Amino acid sequence: MGAPGRDVLGVELVQAGAPRERRLPRHAGRHVLIVPALAVLVVFFVLPYLNLTLISLMTPSHRAPYVRVLTLGNYTTLLRDPFTWQVIWHTLWIGVVTTAVCLVISYPLAYHLARAPRRLRGLFMILVISPLLVGVLIRTYGWMILLQDTGLINQTLRALHLPAAPLMYNNTGVLIGLVHVFVPFMVLSIAGTIQTIDPELEFAARSLGAGAWRTFRRVVLPLSLPGVLAGTVLVFVLTISSYVIPSLLGGFTVLTVPLLVVRTVTELFNWPGGSAFAILFFVITLVVVGLYVRAMGRGAGQLPDQGDDR
Amino acid sequence: MIRPWERWWMAAAVAVLYAFLLAPIVIVVLAALNSGTYLRFPPEGLSLRWFVAFAQSRSFTTSLRFSLKLATLATAASTVVGTMASLWIVRFSGRWRNALRVLFVAPLAVPGILTGIALLIFFYAVGWGNTGFLGLVIGHTLICTPYVFLITSAVLLRFDRTLEEAARNLGAGALRTFWRITLPLIKGGIISGAVFAFVASYDEFNISLLLSGVGMTPLPIQLFDYLRFSFDPTAAVAGTISIGLAFVVVLVTQKLVGLDALYLGGG
Repeated sequence: MGAPGRDVLGVELVQAGAPRERRLPRHAGRHVLIVPALAVLVVFFVLPYLNLTLISLMTPSHRAPYVRVLTLGNYTTLLRDPFTWQVIWHTLWIGVVTTAVCLVISYPLAYHLARAPRRLRGLFMILVISPLLVGVLIRTYGWMILLQDTGLINQTLRALHLPAAPLMYNNTGVLIGLVHVFVPFMVLSIAGTIQTIDPELEFAARSLGAGAWRTFRRVVLPLSLPGVLAGTVLVFVLTISSYVIPSLLGGFTVLTVPLLVVRTVTELFNWPGGSAFAILFFVITLVVVGLYVRAMGRGAGQLPDQGDDR
Repeated sequence: MIRPWERWWMAAAVAVLYAFLLAPIVIVVLAALNSGTYLRFPPEGLSLRWFVAFAQSRSFTTSLRFSLKLATLATAASTVVGTMASLWIVRFSGRWRNALRVLFVAPLAVPGILTGIALLIFFYAVGWGNTGFLGLVIGHTLICTPYVFLITSAVLLRFDRTLEEAARNLGAGALRTFWRITLPLIKGGIISGAVFAFVASYDEFNISLLLSGVGMTPLPIQLFDYLRFSFDPTAAVAGTISIGLAFVVVLVTQKLVGLDALYLGGG
């Protein structure tokens, strides 16, 4: 993720050819270009987040959203509450399962997309990206029609005289919805790297007698690890911070951190408590993702040692 | 080398996965066009009665109009701000380039719901507790700008700058060069960034959930409240409109920029 020439999302933005770049005469006036964007980001993004951190250290009150008295109480209350940890664990668990299922589903799609003939690739890109552009809410609604007790799937089961399956207002429904929403992100991340792998490498492995599975494991998979890393991190982070899907497909039975934070802020009006929970979860997410990226980096670094038979 | 049965197996798996990806979207459109209250197989028949119900529902039409107004303003603001920023970052940023690029895409990378909470509390703290509409426009602009920035940057990086130099050498001023050469050439990227921004705002949920106030309910929030208590296909009509918009965006982007520009990750 941290390679030069990539941004946080791992989107590749090729550096403009710096050496041969001949610049137009310098004008101080051109710096005006950056001012509006910088102003919007600093005032309405950086400052609010700093403020959020500050508010998490304020004292909650019944009469106002908070009282300007510094305290660490919000954090100690949270850390001591077993319920906090239960919700955090459950959220992380949902994140891990969703990411794993997304990876398994997305890899064949990404491979197929990256290796499709040029003319067809546009069509497949449309199929992958269209769901991404339909609002999360609409896609969740589609799943509600399919998964609810009187929905299409259960109608079919009943017509076949099979027992109805509880697919909504539980973890199953939430996981289905989350996987569906985040598969396109994973596909795009992985397809980007697979496209850079020379197909000749696969042909070479196959002609030297490696089977399809072995070629995949020893050639394609190791070379596509950067995309897998970017995709899994992206999907994991998006999953654990999603709000719409757990609330609509989980009903009141699935509780995740974002749901609890919003409830604390908007229903209990405990702004310091909600802010502290948000910051705590943010830090935990950073630690989890950091550990994962390090483990993956080490794993990738060891591959050449295992691959003595190259 | 790749055996035929492998190819068939792959094709079958991919077909199933695409079906999974498109299923809920197709279902929403079917539900909107179905004449019954519940979707059944076989469908009970085609009908536009839910479209009529949608058009007659005051709460839906009000929030649809509100969403369109909000998306228009957010798109205008983020297109101008994002395009200017991408021009500067791609051409003049020098050693600040990577740090700024991270900052500019950050609103997409952090949880939207947290940004909503941070903005809500911030507006209160600086005494703008009742910013209302302006607060929503600011929040949406924040989320839309990265899309414009990413897409116009992708186009600018492919831009042949000798064309600008030729114009300058032939005596055109900086502004004239921009209007006559640069702008027409990056127009596709800007339009497609703007279209992306529009849909991002139209579908934005997290920011709106926290910043929308009385009498200012964007369509996604209206839908969310509706879906908590009812599955009535009137909501499917709103969904169908949104799906139509999404397809327009995909086609416009594919035509003007090429969807390949949207590849994430790299190798």
